[in-house]
Amino acid sequence: MNPETLLKELHQRNLEADTRRQFLKTCTTGMGGFFLGDQLARGAATPQHEADNPLSALQPHFNPKVKRVIYLHMIGAPSQLELFDYKPELEKLDGKPCPQEFLEGKRFAFIQGTPNMMGPQAKFKQHGDSGAWISDRLPHLAKHADDLCFIKTMNTDQFNHGPAQLMVHTGHAQIGYPSIGSWVTWGMGSENADMPGFMVLLSGGRLPRVGKALWSAGFLPSVYQGVQCRSVGDPVLNVSNPAGTNSEVRRTALDALNKLNQSTFDEFGDPETLTRIAQYEMAYRMQTAVPEVMSIDEEPESVHEMYGTEPGKESFANNCLLARRLAERGVRYIQLFDWGWDSHGASEQTALNRGFIDKCRNVDKPISALLTDLKQRGMLEDTLVVWSGEFGRTPMRENRGGQEMALKGRDHNPSAFTLWMAGAGVKAGTTYGETDPIGYDAALNPVRVNDFHATLLHLLGFDHKHLTVPFQGLQQKLTGVNHAEIVKGVLS
Amino acid sequence: MPLVSLFSQAHAQNQIDFARDIRPILNAKCTGCHGGVKQAGGVSFVYENQVVNFEGDTGNPVVVPNNVDASELFFRITLPDDDIDRMPPADEHPKGLTENEIALFRQWIEEGADWAGHWSFESPVSPELPTISKDQTARSGIDHFVLARLEKEGLKASPPAQAARLLRRLSLDLTGLPPSIEELDTFIADHAKDPDKAISAAVDERLARPAFGEKWSTMWLDLVRYADSRGLGQDGKRNIWPYRDWVVNAFNDDMPFDQFTIRQLAGDLLPKPTINDLIATAAHRNTQTNNEGGTDDEEFRVEAVIDRVNTTWQTWGSITFGCVQCHDHPYEAFHHDDYYEFMAFFNNTADSDLKNDEPLLQVPNDPSKWEDAARLDREIRDLQTRLWKSGRKLSQSVSWTPLAFDNVSTSNNTIIENEVVDEQHHFFTKGTVQRGPIYRLYPTLPESGKSITGFKLTVLPTDTEKALKDSEWGFEVSELEVELLDEKNEVTKIAFAASIADIPFLPHKPDTLIGKSGNGFQAWTRMHHARELTIIPAEPIAPGEKTLRIRISNKGFLLGAFPLVIKRGYFEVSSDPALIAFAKSEERSGLTKSLTALQAERKKIPSTTLPVMAERHTSITRPTHVFARGNFLEKDKSVTAGLPDSLPPLSNSKNPSRLEMAKWWVSGDHPMTSRVFVNRIWEQLFGTGLVATLEDFGSSGEKPSHPELLDHLALKFQNDFAWSVKSIIREIVNSSTYQQSAKASPELIERDPANRLLARGPRNRLAAEVLRDQALAIGGLLTEKVGGPPVHPPIPTGVWKPFQAGDKWETPKRGEENRYRRALYTYTKRSIPFPSMATFDAPSREFCNPRRLQSNTPLQALTMLNDEAMTEAAAGLARRMKYDTEGTVAEKLSAGYRIATARPPSSEKLSELVGLFEKLEAQYASEPELKKGMAGTADGAAFTIVAQVILNLDEVLTK
Repeated sequence: MNPETLLKELHQRNLEADTRRQFLKTCTTGMGGFFLGDQLARGAATPQHEADNPLSALQPHFNPKVKRVIYLHMIGAPSQLELFDYKPELEKLDGKPCPQEFLEGKRFAFIQGTPNMMGPQAKFKQHGDSGAWISDRLPHLAKHADDLCFIKTMNTDQFNHGPAQLMVHTGHAQIGYPSIGSWVTWGMGSENADMPGFMVLLSGGRLPRVGKALWSAGFLPSVYQGVQCRSVGDPVLNVSNPAGTNSEVRRTALDALNKLNQSTFDEFGDPETLTRIAQYEMAYRMQTAVPEVMSIDEEPESVHEMYGTEPGKESFANNCLLARRLAERGVRYIQLFDWGWDSHGASEQTALNRGFIDKCRNVDKPISALLTDLKQRGMLEDTLVVWSGEFGRTPMRENRGGQEMALKGRDHNPSAFTLWMAGAGVKAGTTYGETDPIGYDAALNPVRVNDFHATLLHLLGFDHKHLTVPFQGLQQKLTGVNHAEIVKGVLS
Repeated sequence: MPLVSLFSQAHAQNQIDFARDIRPILNAKCTGCHGGVKQAGGVSFVYENQVVNFEGDTGNPVVVPNNVDASELFFRITLPDDDIDRMPPADEHPKGLTENEIALFRQWIEEGADWAGHWSFESPVSPELPTISKDQTARSGIDHFVLARLEKEGLKASPPAQAARLLRRLSLDLTGLPPSIEELDTFIADHAKDPDKAISAAVDERLARPAFGEKWSTMWLDLVRYADSRGLGQDGKRNIWPYRDWVVNAFNDDMPFDQFTIRQLAGDLLPKPTINDLIATAAHRNTQTNNEGGTDDEEFRVEAVIDRVNTTWQTWGSITFGCVQCHDHPYEAFHHDDYYEFMAFFNNTADSDLKNDEPLLQVPNDPSKWEDAARLDREIRDLQTRLWKSGRKLSQSVSWTPLAFDNVSTSNNTIIENEVVDEQHHFFTKGTVQRGPIYRLYPTLPESGKSITGFKLTVLPTDTEKALKDSEWGFEVSELEVELLDEKNEVTKIAFAASIADIPFLPHKPDTLIGKSGNGFQAWTRMHHARELTIIPAEPIAPGEKTLRIRISNKGFLLGAFPLVIKRGYFEVSSDPALIAFAKSEERSGLTKSLTALQAERKKIPSTTLPVMAERHTSITRPTHVFARGNFLEKDKSVTAGLPDSLPPLSNSKNPSRLEMAKWWVSGDHPMTSRVFVNRIWEQLFGTGLVATLEDFGSSGEKPSHPELLDHLALKFQNDFAWSVKSIIREIVNSSTYQQSAKASPELIERDPANRLLARGPRNRLAAEVLRDQALAIGGLLTEKVGGPPVHPPIPTGVWKPFQAGDKWETPKRGEENRYRRALYTYTKRSIPFPSMATFDAPSREFCNPRRLQSNTPLQALTMLNDEAMTEAAAGLARRMKYDTEGTVAEKLSAGYRIATARPPSSEKLSELVGLFEKLEAQYASEPELKKGMAGTADGAAFTIVAQVILNLDEVLTK
């Protein structure tokens, strides 16, 4: 059998296995009960990619509004009380001891005993037609007030960074679960055959503390893990040819390699051999495509001006521009991490009245530029931009070790934080949910991280209950074992 | 569909087999509502006693054996579709059960409704060897089972693999390394004379090599989630490599699997444990700790204990016991409480979620010193116990008087007050506690005027009742001083002669209180119970007119946030002269002297530290509670150690210890242990287990493809071979089944794509570690040094950015031996997996990794083509071709091909290679600049690229 026939054959077989799934896809009503308890149907919802391309583009459960995601995560948890969640009541309590009722049953990372309350450490104003409250820390972003859809009542059950970041990106507090980007590329593949479907960009000088676990494929095949783009060394690991090899030499070598592997296939008949040939070819294409997308210096001066980019440096601004370039090329899920938002006030860098101001300045213009740029290119129609931290910060001033500290800071608060989205599928210029008068707890319409995941998957065309994979005795899903609710109030 | 039906469906005419015919229907259509989690109407099809002769909420028995008409189940499943009482309910199962399914239920009930456990819960029974037709030849029992099955399927086994290919398969499978050219030549010659003899000799020889343990340790290290870092939070470096070497040595020494098991789970509880027994217990110290500032130490200690439970069940039982953490198992016969009863076996270990990894074992660097060290450790421990016991006994026998205070104060914002509770004068903190307070306590002098010969400090949890369930943060008395002040406030310090804690072995010695070394008596890091410390002054204290002052310094704090401060305590004093007499007795000073001498001797043995398991002292045991919905903050009833009823019981069921639990797994009665391990070995050799779901032998896992073969091997392993791992591996690789050629016709591929019927030999992509080791071996670079601390081979630029800047990646220079060690010695950091390992599906080892899923990706191609280790290996192979081989270019290329694949190239392939070489040589000759950084000459460059092509051949990446 010649290889083409075999590939076709493999493809055909996948399609046949797919029939049941097609049936389930088209039959969207009453599916819940159908799946429940029907263990024989396990694996039936497994996305079936083309035999030689595990990233082939697939249709999700239903027509998606969002084709790609750019997620901006401010690592360390930026204070909602200094940026978006304006609390005049808190201002009045500034400097007063925290009432006991706020402390009962709460666990803190660093606060001891009875701390003092602390009013907003920035000036707030309403912006745009929507009248969204945005502080003067983010003057550029404020101009986009009418593009943003805020959720003020995000909450999580994790109050330490590592587990909380894992919670945001994998839906679980432990290391070892697939990240959102992995689920999504597993479910929908990629629109670009020359690049990975899930790419990760870092700034802020440090890796998030749980590192690669935030873009891990967990128990999904490793091809769905996030691929880190780097500003130092190869943009993607090993994408450059070694010394002494140019692309002509590589082509010559690959041609020979393919022929030799072809004859191995003829001898052994192992379909994996054919997949391998296809993967080597994709690798070759990536070697051109990746450096091309990463070379931001080819952008016009006006773009650099708008983003505040400096080619050749590791910066959040550069990553925002890269995010647009990756999105343009059909990368499915683009994850940015910016380190340095843990405003405890234990040092200059982490003080709300010092380092935090610089961090805001560093991200304000690039985020605003990214939104403008996507809008101008018509890409905000099918791209979703998400901004968040991993939890919120306390309305109390941190008193680490039981004493007042010289600089101003806030401790971790899992009960309320702000997340915003902009672009496809969400209501622009709205605010969902309301925190209590001091911004401590989600008072009206709380949204748990798992609810947010259900919503995000919905926007991408998936029913979160049915994007599952069996592992360790459970049908694992991004939203975990507890009930998760789509936040309908944010959908456009 | 031309797919093989592996698992035959029900045959109504035969006797009903509950597990085969009934349970799958129950699991598919019933347990969603009548299972372990939901038990609608009180009915659960997981448990026989909630079905057979059991009256659910309807009042009718669900199933009455031999009586279909009296069985509510049968009545309900046969109702018409539009009846709302029809089961399964129409909204979720519009069609109800099929006629065939209903017939099966009828037959089952009529035949007596025999209930059987899931196959893996039933002990294996030695199966008869099936007969096979005369034209088939079987080398071993394995072949009988496989061939009989193939006959049934109308398939034929494949012919034996060619000698060279077989030797490569054996070498890679047994040692993780390819055969050398010399080995190949010898083997081919021997094989031509007597194939069986040559093969079995080659097998034995490879089983005896140190490389065997290096290869086979990997699968075990995946299970016990071995890594050189602590995980979560900061992921700092952890010194635990002696355990990795222990695993390698255990495989090499063919340590029987029962011993291997007992030592890892409970080596510390063996009588007179050796250093080796103790190192083994580090298996369960591979759990993650979270050293991020502000983390709750108890939360992550509990996480670690839970991980030990889950890993133990996964590793030895292939059971998803973790499900029971939150609720009854949805489909296995495990109850919620079972989880916590099992957890109690692990809940009393001395470790907590700490950066310092205590308790630690000092492992002598030189194994010949292990025996001495173990003896010294034992003698030291015995002496310490003796010293402690006599002091403790005395402290408990003398009479104590409560000590009242005139005044109490602190050195910072921490507020301290005193009050009388149950006749004791408590000092306690109020409100916010600041880090590092020093307490100054001014006792009211005893009226009797008697001099003081001893102080007893009792430290209490703030809520004594609640602390038994939910521990409180502990405390640390970093310094304790007693002073006398005269009227001019001149201070005289009282000298101490002894201090005696309430437990013999504190992580830091209470004796240091006498000096001021900063680490003293403590509850480290949490406390459930009141704690006691007795201090004996060198001379009786007679304050007279002077003022007495007690100074306690609480310097300790953890994770940037938690002050380890006494929150409530009281003092008592004694005037019994026996205390000072004891402190100064010759016996005590003699024992102390011997102890110091022994400790000094032990210190002379150069050692490295290793985290190990140890039990907490009986007086401060941790109670274990059921966690409501798996949440450790919501504790339900208290439980003691025990095992699920659905499995064989322990021989000693009263207060069983971790050691008894360990022995239980390998008692020979356990239905899972041997099957599970044999299945793992099978998967290592064939690429797929006999049970494909290595991680799940439960009812949601796959059934075995060859159930009798699995039982045959399991019984052979635990009985005939007395748990010898090498023997069972030998048995498998000596079978004809294993030695078949891997060539497959398109028809066979179509018929059995995953090779579950074993009509051909195994062909799989090599594991991440083997790919690297093989490339280094082919390039002539591999360092054959066994064991030692982890190494740092080249890592791509920009990857190494550890959260802790002090954790340096120091790559040895080209030519240095540690640059070319086997992959298993590479420093394994959980948050920064070594890129080439992760790319080829090696797990990052946060949790038990029962199975590696194989992927085939472009990043793998980029790694094999461009990664520094691979380009160095290609250069090495190029040198071997160019310089170490005589003859023409074709002969050189042919030799290179054979080094890598074990076989000479076909003439077609050779001409492809020669053509490639000539083309490249011409190109490099015409562009001399191009070869810069790779080779000095055009032919050198051409050899390098051809070598790279050879290293990337599918035949090389695959076994």
